Formats: sequence, structure tokens, C-alpha cells
Amino acid sequence: MGQKTPQIYSVELNGAKDMKQTDKGDDKDKYRGLWSTCLELRKNHHKEHVTKEIDLDDHKLSNKELENKYHTNIVTGLSSTQAAELLARDGPNALSPPQETPEIIKFLKQMVGGFSILLWVGAILCWIAYGIQFSNDKSSSLDNVYLGTVLALVVILTGIFAYYQEAKSTNIMASFSKMIPQQALVIRDSEKKIIPAEQLVVGDIVEIKGGDQIPADIRLLFAQGCKVDNSSLTGESEPQPRSCEFTHDNPLETKNIGFYSTTCLEVSISPVGTATGMVINTGDRTIIGHIASLASGVGNEKTPIATEIEHFVHIVAGVAISIGVLFFIIAVSMKYRVLDSIIFLIGIIVANVPEGLLATVTVTLSLTAKRMAKKNCLVKNLEAVETLGSTSIICSDKTGTLTQNRMTVAHLWFDNQIFMADTSEDHFKQTFDQSSGTWASLSKIITLCNRAEFRPGQERVPIMKRVVVGDASETALLKFSEVVLGDVMEIRKRNHKVAEIPFNSTNKFQLSIHKTDDPTDKRFLMVMKGAPEKILEKCSTIMVNGQEQPLDQSTAEAFYTAYMELGGLGERVLGFCHLYLSADEFPETYSFDVDAMNFPMSNLCFVGLLSMIDPPRSTVPDAITKCRSAGIKVIMVTGDHPITAKAIAKSVGIISANSETVEDIAKRLNIAVEQVNKQDAKAVVVTGMELKDMSEDQLDEVLTSYPEIVFARTSPQQKLIIVEGCQRQDAVVAVTGDGVNDSPALKKADIGIAMGIAGSDAAKNAADMVLLDDNFASIVTGVEEGRLIFDNLKKTIAYTLTKNIAELCPFLIYIIVGVPLPLGTITILFIDLGTDIVPSIALAYEKAESDIMNRKPRHKKKDRLVNKPLAVYSYLHIGLMQSLGAFLVYFTVYAQEGFRPSTLINLRVEWEKDFVNNLEDSYGQEWTRYQRKYLEWTGYTAFFIGIMIQQIADLIIRKTRKNSIFQQGLFRNKVIWVGIASQIIIALILSYGLGSITALNFTMLRPQYWFVAVPHAFLIWVYDEVRKLFIRLYPGSWWDKNMYY
Amino acid sequence: MPQQRSLCVPRPLVVGSIEEHQRAPRPAAKMVTQKEKKSCGQVVEEWKEFVWNPRTHQFMGRTGTSWAFILLFYFVFYGFLTAMFTLTMWVMLQTVSDHTPKYQDRLATPGLMIRPKTENLDVVVNVSDAESWGQHVQKLNKFLEPYNDSVQAQKNDVCRPGRYYEQPDNGVLNYPKRACQFNRTQLGDCSGLGDPTHYGYSTGQPCVFIKMNRVINFYAGANQSMNVTCVGKREEDAENLGSFVMFPAHGNIDLMYFPYYGKKFHVNYTQPLVAVKFLNVTPNVEVNVECRINAVNIATDDERDKFAGRVAFKLRINKT
Repeated sequence: MGQKTPQIYSVELNGAKDMKQTDKGDDKDKYRGLWSTCLELRKNHHKEHVTKEIDLDDHKLSNKELENKYHTNIVTGLSSTQAAELLARDGPNALSPPQETPEIIKFLKQMVGGFSILLWVGAILCWIAYGIQFSNDKSSSLDNVYLGTVLALVVILTGIFAYYQEAKSTNIMASFSKMIPQQALVIRDSEKKIIPAEQLVVGDIVEIKGGDQIPADIRLLFAQGCKVDNSSLTGESEPQPRSCEFTHDNPLETKNIGFYSTTCLEVSISPVGTATGMVINTGDRTIIGHIASLASGVGNEKTPIATEIEHFVHIVAGVAISIGVLFFIIAVSMKYRVLDSIIFLIGIIVANVPEGLLATVTVTLSLTAKRMAKKNCLVKNLEAVETLGSTSIICSDKTGTLTQNRMTVAHLWFDNQIFMADTSEDHFKQTFDQSSGTWASLSKIITLCNRAEFRPGQERVPIMKRVVVGDASETALLKFSEVVLGDVMEIRKRNHKVAEIPFNSTNKFQLSIHKTDDPTDKRFLMVMKGAPEKILEKCSTIMVNGQEQPLDQSTAEAFYTAYMELGGLGERVLGFCHLYLSADEFPETYSFDVDAMNFPMSNLCFVGLLSMIDPPRSTVPDAITKCRSAGIKVIMVTGDHPITAKAIAKSVGIISANSETVEDIAKRLNIAVEQVNKQDAKAVVVTGMELKDMSEDQLDEVLTSYPEIVFARTSPQQKLIIVEGCQRQDAVVAVTGDGVNDSPALKKADIGIAMGIAGSDAAKNAADMVLLDDNFASIVTGVEEGRLIFDNLKKTIAYTLTKNIAELCPFLIYIIVGVPLPLGTITILFIDLGTDIVPSIALAYEKAESDIMNRKPRHKKKDRLVNKPLAVYSYLHIGLMQSLGAFLVYFTVYAQEGFRPSTLINLRVEWEKDFVNNLEDSYGQEWTRYQRKYLEWTGYTAFFIGIMIQQIADLIIRKTRKNSIFQQGLFRNKVIWVGIASQIIIALILSYGLGSITALNFTMLRPQYWFVAVPHAFLIWVYDEVRKLFIRLYPGSWWDKNMYY
Repeated sequence: MPQQRSLCVPRPLVVGSIEEHQRAPRPAAKMVTQKEKKSCGQVVEEWKEFVWNPRTHQFMGRTGTSWAFILLFYFVFYGFLTAMFTLTMWVMLQTVSDHTPKYQDRLATPGLMIRPKTENLDVVVNVSDAESWGQHVQKLNKFLEPYNDSVQAQKNDVCRPGRYYEQPDNGVLNYPKRACQFNRTQLGDCSGLGDPTHYGYSTGQPCVFIKMNRVINFYAGANQSMNVTCVGKREEDAENLGSFVMFPAHGNIDLMYFPYYGKKFHVNYTQPLVAVKFLNVTPNVEVNVECRINAVNIATDDERDKFAGRVAFKLRINKT
């Protein structure tokens, strides 16, 4: 292939060639790549349903043999009964959807995932405890049953909630994958019928028009001028001709097979306008079906955030269980009854588990997902929201993602000068010098020698957005001339076309002959465009400044220099020439015969060159710069030619301005490539061929040693290899893709990003995220959101964990010191699932503290969501301070009601005896059990309020991890204040509104008790400000390491 | 192909490995490949290294200095927190008086209680089994000791019955406050003085003592006389309960024992009692008895607090 690579990337103008041009010679490799990947995957995944080989020889058979094989008739088709039998045997012609987890399993997973198991254990222990109590004493109170039921309810409700959230986000996607039911025109019982494509069976004779999707794998029986777009299969959208001849042994390469889900682009109008084919494979047995089943064989990696949350659950559950067991042992050795100890254990578990947190995390993620959807990133899997944030390598497609996916005129060369054209998305004005006479001629050729036309009725649409009938290059030229000259169609009308030779690949030029719009000039104008060297061959003169001059050696050299230069930019170059046919030889009535070529084809006048490129999207360079400063490596993976790939990579900044490849250095120093010190090169362009010969280690080496990498001429299958290579570096890899056979890579990637516009459904199915505008810049905004959400989740978790200590301490003090229980289990649930919910969600709205796009992506294994400093600081610093504050409120309430702290110690046993109705307080007064109980509930309420007030302070300090609150702005995040308001309102309702419902254990608290903990709340704030101050003052110090979470 | 490229070129993605600061730097490419599952031996080895890492002199992941720092920090920090908490508690306790509680809202209705105080308020008397009631008797003896006339005469005043014994402070703290005498002899047959029947327990005619909870500054009865009455809870209970006598007569509680001024002021306060002697309880059945105080300002119908102004207990006399 090496020597086949042309030095200059000039692309011949072809009737329907798209810009995703690849060298013909690559096709074989492309398919081979597809095939070998398939086989390799099969080996790796031992999936039963993919083990059967494709054994296709239908392309070799004659029509007669086919008829026999499939018991059908080419003219009359199958009979309905036959078809029905086959349909019953083979099943419908549709890809079986990827195996969905049944809803009930999903639901049950939510029920037992995370902390749910712990809470179930708690609930069951409650019921067991009641069972034991009941067997001892028939009249024992139902408290434990209630508690157990409440715990079970909490699990079930949070489970339902999480399931609902999950389902909601899945539904967004479901709407995506729903396609309009496909129809097929089939001949059955000698009649043409339109049936849903699902009902096709092998042996059916189908007719296909241009623009149809091919409804199954078909063997073409009759086709003229048929072209198909196999992009959904190969990822390359180069149209491929199809006919009924058997041209290749490989079924994938022979021309007489059309593949399911590929598109038939065009069929010659004459004689019938349709292609006829026989269905040879349906549904999952089609080639696409095989690939799709391969994709489902590639295991989905666990998302980083799922790992993080699991890690966090392990930490919290570990703490809960170890403290629970420890205090169970302590309680038993303190001669508490085992039953009581079990109840303590439940209390400790409930206090330790942040019941509302996982629901909060889900809400937070879905809020971000919504925000991202607004920015054109549609997230399929909620957890993928964060994955994007931890992405360290992006393997991006070129066409459509980095570029605008439309050819645009980039440069012009005439009058020995290169002019630049504006390639931005919405260019209105072209600013190059248009006064020259050469330009007048050139513009005429561009306008006239062009078959593309605007679809009618688009006068109001901006030129660049109009739909054009014609191939990419001609479209570019049409739009270009429309912008520069105005109404092209009018100009064409004035210059009536008398003859035309459309482009073909042998001629490599296109020609047309026109009457001119100058009524005095009776000459015909012949205009021609094509591959520059071919055009130049036909010329003897060249136009300079509007004057024809003989084409001498120096002008030819100037031409080649310009040609090379433009080609070196990765642009597609076209040459333009014209000739005024003398009126004597070609009178007005002259009849031109394009087959006989009865007009001169030499000694033309060369006018100029024009080069086109699929220009980068204007937002991309900025986005790439952002990625770079964010420590994300952007790797371009494209099927395009290396030179184009490199040119685009350079223009968008994937290869930065001052970095060179080995080849560049060699060229600059004028030495052989082998002599270059490879460490000097920062960038590398690896072609698919080179990649194929690389071992894993070599690929790893390339990936680690070059910061700027472009993979060109790669088959989409090699993407999978590249992705795996990146993942071996412990990188979190994002991959963009659109073709069906990108889907294994999309699945393999930590986050697969499918293109919303260009993407195939298979790609969208395999991806975790869909870019609605196919724009790379949207990925960067996604990364930003993802990083922000990681930071904010940290804050949310820190906020939530803090109060767990304040909920736990009461139990520990109750067990050890024997004071009346300061905080009831139900009350704890009211904090976790009541006052704390809105505030922890509010933290998701917090703005970034510093420029999050200026730091490296987090290390998957090192930068944990919940790290040691976070746990220690939340538990042992703020949590403890909070407990003290809450205890202060508790002691205040008891002391002011008559029980001084000293009296409370070891009061527990007497306090809880139901028959003791004359318990003496510090003043000699006597209390009945109910009076004490009410006081105990008041204590719960007081403790609750104490925690709530301090959680407000906690919420405020959690707004930032490093900056002062005043730097962050106390009022910038309004939702925080909504959160605070909700805390207070819920507490008010609980205390004053529901204070009379005894089951909830809330009482009306005297207003002054609400303020007892305020000093402690301030202390928390001040302490945290001091912590942050020292972190800012002494970065990297001992303090920073231990206190920054 | 770039083959001899240095393997040590630092690249951001690879350098940040966990072991980075603990182990000697390795070539980047190798670090990437060592991602296999750890064997058991490696885990033990890692633990050992965690507990004591001889190379970095780290114990449990911290060096000596780091441990010193962290311990010092927590010492200071927790010291400060303790001080802070103590201070706030002290400030809080300043708001609380030594003599009377700040709030008494929970004690609007004093509770009633019985003696002997038994588990679940079940008074079970096996007449033939001296041990079963012996403990009750012992408890009662102890309980009634301060009511001995001699003790009362020594410590307390003889007050005028029928009116509150108020001892206002009038601007100057007036304490200790005096208390009124409640003599054991007032309990008549239930006084247990020179009683061979041990408060009736040995004969199956037990005395149960009823007392009203102390509440500071509570003017029970609102200047009107009050008394305790007992009934069987349900009809059958009433039948089984039979007749009883009360001491002082009619279960009266005199106003002079109120108000109570609190433990600190009212050092020798003697709580008034009402003794109920059940004369012919149907033996071998459980009888639910409910006694309540009839006073103008004591509600006895609180649904939630079953002991507000009343007391319910079970009485069972087992005779063979």
C-alpha cells in the first residue's frame, strides 16, 4: 500500500463520491479487518450465538441455482403459504434487540443494592426482636414492628424512586431507537405487494428504489447503475456500485450482494428504476445481525462513578457494621439484655446509613444529565454523566465530529497567487480579490461546469444550509459561487447549456458547452474541470490577469508548486480551464456530439485551481485547547488519508502548531526518517497498515510516548484495538463513533459517544451517550459538567456523612453513659429523608470553585470520590462538633425541665421502666412514664433541631472545598437557600404541625431551643474557614494532605 | 516505528499510579501492564508493608513525624472541643436555678403511684407462702420508716389542716422550709405498727399505699379538700374486689402538705399517703384496681398518660 499512497492527495471528481474518500485498495483490508475482528471477538467471548460462521455462497450461484436453492421463482416470487411457513421457521426479519434485563430484576436490584441490604437486616432484626418480646410478653409494645416496617418502607420507597429515575432516563433513549417500521416491496404470488420488512423471508424477491434501505441481505438479480452506501457496515460512506455480476469470492466484496440496513443510494432511472434482488438472509442471520451480536458480546465496563459509589457504600457499611458489632459486644458485656443489644445494633445501623443519599445521587446525576441534554449531550446511562468528567483520552472521529461534514472551498489559485476562502460555518462574504479578469473567467467555469442544483423552495434558507442535489464537491462549488456571484441558476439560464460530459473516473474531467450570455458574442464557451494534472495536459495557454498567455515551463512549475501546496494541506484540488470555440468552426446551429467528441479537447486555456476541504468546525480548535489544558489527550481516529487527517489535526490543534512528526523533522533537517531522534517528535500519524503490524507493546509505546496522535486510514475495527490500548494505560477512554461496526468499540470504551445525526441505530444503542449535534465541542461541555458533578457529589456526600456521626453519638452515649435516648430511630429517618434531601441536591447546583478544565482528569484509582480526608473530616471533625452542639440542645431541654445532666447519667434503666411512674428528677419532683416519654420526645426534637441548625452551617461550608465561602459567594447558588428554607420549613412542620402525632415522636419545641446550637453552627463555619485558609496558604503541606478532601 | 523511545518519559496518564511515591519509579510501559489480580501472598505482603514499611519508615501509612503531628492535632482539637462544650454547658446551666426547675409544663397533672412498688404493679400475695409477701412487707417497712411519729415529731411541724402550708420567700430566700407532719399512726390498721398480720399480707387482707407524685409549687385541690377513691376497673373486678377501708378516713389528703418546694428547700418534706386495706378480695383471681384522686385541679382522664391523677394495679390473693 505504501507506494500506492499518492504524494499529493488529489481526489478525482466523481459523480457521487463523498468526502469520506478512501483508497480503493483499502477496501479489502477494511473488510479483512472487519472479519478478523469478528473472529477475534468470537474467540474472546465464546458466545454461543456467534460461533456459527457465515457460510455464504449465494453470490456464486446463477439465478437458476438460486431459484432451486430457495424454492422460489424470480418472476412470480414465493407463494404466500410458502412465505408464511418460512416466516414461522426463521422468525421475523428483524434484529433481536439486545438482551434487556427484565424490569423486575432491575427493580429487585434497586431493592437490594447499596445500603438496602443493611436496612433490610435492620428491619428483620426489628421484627425478630418483636417476636422475642412477644413470646415473652404478649402485651409488649409494637414499637419494633413499626420501626421494622418503616425501615422496609424506606428501602422500598427509595428503591422505587431509584428505579423510576433509572427508567425515566432509559425512556429518553427508547424513543431514539424506535424506527419507523420499514416497508418492502416484494413479489409474492406473482403480485407486487408492500409488506413490513419484518415479514420478509429467504427466497422473497424484493424491489428496491434509490433511497431505500435494503430490507435484508439480498442477492441482486437485476440492477443497473445501482449504488449503495455501506457506511453502516464499514463506517465509510463511499458509495459502492452494485450490479448482478459475481465479482469476488468474498461475499462482502462481491458486487451482487446488498446488505441489510445499508442504503441504496441510486438506481438508474432507465429502464425500470428499481433493482431486484432475492432475500438470502434475514434478521440475525444477516451480516449486520452478526456484527450486532458481537457488540453485545463485548462486556460493558463498570462506570467509574459506579465503582466510586460502591467504594463509598463499602466504607459506610464497614463503619456501620464494625461500630454496630463493637457496641453490640460492649452492650452485651455491660450486661444489657441481648434483645436490647440487638435494638441498639439496629439504631446504630440506621444512624450510620445515609438512607437518602443514593436517591440524592441519582437525582443529582439526572439533573446534570438534563443540563447536558440541553447542551446537546444526551446521556443514556445516568452514571455516564460522571464518566465523561473523568475521561482522560478521547478517541474522536474526524468527519462530522471535528469537521463540518461538508466540502467547502478553501483555497483558490489563479494569477499565480493562492487566495484563501472563508470556511467558517456561516460565511457570507468571500474577501479575496475579485477584480481580476481571471476570476471572472474562473467564476464562470465554476458556475457553469456544475450539475448540482439547489432543491427548489429554499430561497429564504441561508445559502450554506440549503439542500443541494449533487455530490459533495459540486455542492461546495455551487454554494461557493452562489455566495460570491449571487443567483447561480439565473446565470446558468443565461448561458444555455448545449452539451455536457459528466464526470467519469476514466476521463477524470467534466465538461460542458454553453451559449454565452453576451448577445454580441456568438461563440460557444466550453468549460471544463477535473483532476488538475489532467486539465493541465489539455491546455496550451494560461490566463493571467485576464490575459491568455502561453503556458511555458515557469508557469507550469508555478502550477505544480501551488498544486503541491494545496494538496499538502490535505485538500481536494480541482483544475479549471475553458475555451471559446470560434464562431466560424462552430456556428450557432452546430450540433455537439459528446460521444463523438466533435469539438477540440486540447490547447485549452488554463484558468485556475480551486481546493476544497471538509473544514473543521469553528468551535473545535477551542474545544481541543480546552481538552489539552484539562489534561485530556485527544486522539483522532479516521479512515481518511493520512495527509488530510494530519492537516485537519493541525488545523484543529490535535497536532499543535509547534509539534512535529518524525517525518516533519526529517523533511526540515533534510535527513532520512530513520536518522531522526524520535524523542524530538511530539506528534505521530499512524496508519491502519502500520497499526496492523504492531504488537500490543508497540501500540502501548506509541500511546504513552506521543502526546499527539492521529490514526489515519484505520478500519473502524481497529478502533477497538486502539481503545483497548488506551485502557491498558489505566485511562478512562471516550470514543466517538457512528457506524454499526463502531459499536464494539463504543461498548468497550468507558464512555461511548454516538453521533445523533450521522450515527446508526446500532451505534446509538451501544453508546452511553448521544451527541445530538455531532459536535466535538459538545463533548467538552460534557466533560466540564462531568467534572463538576464529581466535585459536587463529593460535597453532597461530605454533607450527608457529617450528620451520621451526630446521629450515631446519641446511641453510643445512651449505651455507655445511660442517659435517656437523645435521638429516636424514626427521628433519624426524618433527618436523612426529610430535612437533608433538598440541601444535598442543592449542592449539585454549586458552581465550580476554580477552573475545573485546568486540571488533570482524576486518576481512576487514586482520586476517589470518598477519600480518607473526606471521611475523617466529616466524621471526626465536623460530625463530632455537630454532635456536641446537638447534645447541648438536648441537655438544655432536660435541664430546664428538671433533669440536670448529672441526674441523667445512668438513669436509663429506671427511665425506661413502664411501671415506674414516680421517677424523681433533680428537684425532687416525680414523673410518670408518659411524662418522661414526652420529655424524651422533646429531647428527640431538640436533638433533631440541633442537628438541623448545624446542618445549615454544614451546608454552607460544603459549598467549597478550598476557597473561602466569601470567594465563592454566599448567594450565588440560590438553590442552597431553597435547601436551607426547606430544612427549616420541614423542621417547623414536624415540630409544630405534626407535634401532636405521637407515633412520629415529635413535640412542640420552645422557640428558644432552636437557637441553642447556633454558636456551635458558627463554630463549624469558622473552623472550616480556618481549614480552607490553611489549605490555601500552605498548599502541599501536612495540613493540605490531611484536611483537603 | 518508534522503537527505542525512552520508556521513562513522564506522561500524565501513567505517572499517577498508586505506588508512585512508595516504590521506585518504573518504566512507564511496565507499570501499565502490571494490572493482574493480586495473589494471597501479595495481599499479606502489602498488609505487612502497610503496618510497617521499612523503606519509608511508615507505620500504618504514616511516618513518625506524621503520627506525632496527627496526634498533637487531635489532642489540641479535641481539647478545644471539650473546652468549648464545657463552656457552653456551663453557660446553659447558669440559666437553670438550683431550687426550682425552669419549666414544669409536663407536670401539670401529678401522677399517682402505689406502694409496695412491684414489677409491673402486680401485687401478688400467696397467703401461705410467707416469702411471696415478705419482700413487700420489707419494702413497706423501709418506706414507712420516715413516717414514724417520733421522726416526724422531731423534724416536722404540726400544721393546721385544711389549708396550704405556704412559706413564701418574700424577697429573701427562706430556707430550709418546714414540712408538715404525716404520722404513721394516721394510717391506722395499715400503719404496720404492732401489727402481727404484716399490713394484712399474712391474712390476705393487704394494705396498698397510694401516694401522689411531688410537683414543685403545685397547689393540689385548689383550696378544696380532696380524696382518693378506688374501684375495680371493670364490673367483675368490682365484684371481686370486695370491700376495703381507707386511712386516713375517706382517703382524704390534706391541703397542708402542699405546696412542695423542692428537694433543696423542702428537705424533710413528707409526702402524704393514703392506705387502702382490701378486706375480702376474691381469692385466686386477678383483680384490676384503679385508684384516682378527686381534686378540682387534677384531671384524671388523660388518655395517653394512664397514671395522671390515677393509678391502676393488679391485685391477686392466692389462697389454697
